Amino acid sequence: MTPVAGAILGPWTIESVSAEHMRTLATILDDPNPIHLDPAAVREMGLGDRVINQGPANLAYVMSMLTECVPGASIARLQARFNANVFGGDRVDAGAEVLAVHESESGRSLDCAIWLDVAGRGRALEGAATLRIAGGQD
Amino acid sequence: MPVPGFEHLPGTVLSEGTFTITPQEASDLERALEASPSMDGGAHPIWAYIATQRGIGVSVAELCALADFDVRDGPMLGSVEIEYDQPLQAGVPYRVTGEVVDLERKVGRRAGTFDLLTYRLAMSAPGDVAVASCTNTFVLPRREAS
Repeated sequence: MTPVAGAILGPWTIESVSAEHMRTLATILDDPNPIHLDPAAVREMGLGDRVINQGPANLAYVMSMLTECVPGASIARLQARFNANVFGGDRVDAGAEVLAVHESESGRSLDCAIWLDVAGRGRALEGAATLRIAGGQD
Repeated sequence: MPVPGFEHLPGTVLSEGTFTITPQEASDLERALEASPSMDGGAHPIWAYIATQRGIGVSVAELCALADFDVRDGPMLGSVEIEYDQPLQAGVPYRVTGEVVDLERKVGRRAGTFDLLTYRLAMSAPGDVAVASCTNTFVLPRREAS
């Protein structure tokens, strides 16, 4: 069933962001920045004492939340601003609020506010997304 | 405000390239993101960012160098905007093109002086079929100007 305006999607949760997964992501992203791999590099830059998750991974959690919470939906457009770092071991919750539902001959689209919250520290990412649902029948 | 000496940068075309998502990397990425496995051969939507970033013919370090910024000084991804025309698929040789959109200088009370480097990358499938585009903005701290 398509969510209605005002519906909350999620939370889609990762209980503990994995340092091992950051290593895999560093390879796939071709990003050798040591802040994702070595806590000593993070300390040296004065950014904390745990490895820092890749920004695109934080965005990907929100994308997973959107497509898994609305079966049959695909993302048409998404914009996000990165507000804060996510560290290894953090719990993160991705969520969204449906702001509007549009109907057309080709299906439905949903305008959403999106976010990624870090337990105990607030919002790491926020923005907006538009989902499209082909057909749009409940 | 524009950055003095870099007024020419917006509109600079980046060297194009190609990128193919391999089934192995698509699967590895899903595991690393703790995402549900794709059931229809589609690739996770974050590949629009990854494929364009890896496929364009310049590295992040080279992009930063266009703005006379050393990548070792810590560029930060500030914002991303992605538009999708088609679902992404593994095994398709995507063409990636791009250009610099803007270089803007800002001064924050706490952050000091920094530049915002914005560039747009687009990926298309064989036959020049538009698939996705990403407009990324990196924050470049200008400690020497603060």
